[in-house]
Amino acid sequence: MNKIEIVNDKIIAKQLDDSITVSSALNNINLRQIKIKITKDTDLTIDYSSNENTKLDFYINISPNVTCNLYENKQLGNYKLGYKYYLDKNSTLNIYKINDVTNIKELLIFNLNGENAKVNYLLKTISKNHEKYDLMVYHNSSHTISNLINHGVNINDGQIDFTVSGFVPNGKKDCLVDQKNRIINLTNNVCAIKPNLFIDENDVIANHSAHIGKCNDDEMFYLMSRGITYKEAENLIIKGFLLKGLNNYQDEMNEIIQKYWR
Amino acid sequence: MNTLKIDKITVKVNDKIILKNFSLTIKSGEIHAIMGPNGTGKSTLTKVIMGDPNYQITKGAITFNDKKINDLKVYERARLGIFLGMQMPMEIEGVSNADFLRTALRSQNENFKLYSFIKELDSQIDKLKMDKDMIHRGINEGFSGGERKKNEILQMHLLKPKVVMLDEIDSGLDVDSLKIVGNSVMEYYEKEKPAILLVTHYQRLLDYIKPNYVHIMSDGKIVKSGDASLAKQIEKEGYDKIKETSTKVQEEIK
Repeated sequence: MNKIEIVNDKIIAKQLDDSITVSSALNNINLRQIKIKITKDTDLTIDYSSNENTKLDFYINISPNVTCNLYENKQLGNYKLGYKYYLDKNSTLNIYKINDVTNIKELLIFNLNGENAKVNYLLKTISKNHEKYDLMVYHNSSHTISNLINHGVNINDGQIDFTVSGFVPNGKKDCLVDQKNRIINLTNNVCAIKPNLFIDENDVIANHSAHIGKCNDDEMFYLMSRGITYKEAENLIIKGFLLKGLNNYQDEMNEIIQKYWR
Repeated sequence: MNTLKIDKITVKVNDKIILKNFSLTIKSGEIHAIMGPNGTGKSTLTKVIMGDPNYQITKGAITFNDKKINDLKVYERARLGIFLGMQMPMEIEGVSNADFLRTALRSQNENFKLYSFIKELDSQIDKLKMDKDMIHRGINEGFSGGERKKNEILQMHLLKPKVVMLDEIDSGLDVDSLKIVGNSVMEYYEKEKPAILLVTHYQRLLDYIKPNYVHIMSDGKIVKSGDASLAKQIEKEGYDKIKETSTKVQEEIK
């Protein structure tokens, strides 16, 4: 599998075939920009770790008729990351992301530029401090699809903020805009989800869901009615919540779960 | 011999009284069926016995083998051997049946053996005609109504409770599945002789699970008790007629 390893703001290793080109340079304000172009169907893993304040800007282009599975795993450190995705006609980008970091701010902008472009995005994060995610999806062509899932578990001094916005301009028909956001908050800290749908076209299917709270009482009752303690029931629910949908990162997520919910 | 005694309990939820001065004693080897119109407190009764924190006992006591369990937590009651097969079993995304059952069995038995668990699980899955892959799926995730009910019965077999409460276990089951579930409950009954409390609307379940006692509930209390023939009478005459007769008798006694 294609792989890029980033430590702090530098690419320290890459293993890529001819489906991917990567360039990296500092811009005029000394911010590192990483440009990735995907030209053939492929999988790409990006592993991050950081022991300082890491700032990076990504520009990711998906060529027409190409499907890319992008796996991201962030560990440790403080991050401030910007992502701009450009999806051409008939391209599909599937993103699976797990974050287990100290602090993080992410700004993600998805540009669905070509007809039938599709993005599926899944984030699983465990927040111990401040985490802020701003996602914007621009449906710049007809028949484009966005499915965004943001799942966070808030522990210790954690605080999570998801702002998720979908834009469909007038004339961009038959788009599907879907976002599901959920935070299991195991603290008394305030978390926020701001789902926004800016739709100027009638011929659109748009859905959003937002849920912040402790574990569901009925689910807890069901598990406890089988002899499982409150703590064990909570651990099972969180484990299920974090592992669901993460086929490629089961081992990594299991390690993280072991760390916090032994 | 295990005895579950519900002694003159009054139960409320959100300031509304659901059960009034309710009493019932169930012993090992007995099968009690509770019937009655919708909204009379049948499901509340099972949830109160299980310890659902949404329901508050304001008067009376529930004892299990003479030990008061009013203040025990849900999992503590389960560990005593009380089991509730729910009317609408929860779907819990991402938590696999395997993980769930292993955790439940480990919590009840420190000497839990994985091999025996798998063997018994496979055998019960076959008997209940369930999909073998269900064990790797999330709890009740994508299960039909019938599959959910079979999953409850599967859990009953694995957890081996001393008191089995089944709340409308027949709803959502087709005729074949009803037979499978009914026979499976009776197989467990013959082997373990638990105390069984069934909540049902229909006589058809009682064709397979033969009750020793049938109770009719109305307005939060038992208004009439009898043997299995009472269920047949209900099917023939309806609740209203039986309630009428029962009220007349009570008035005459007064």
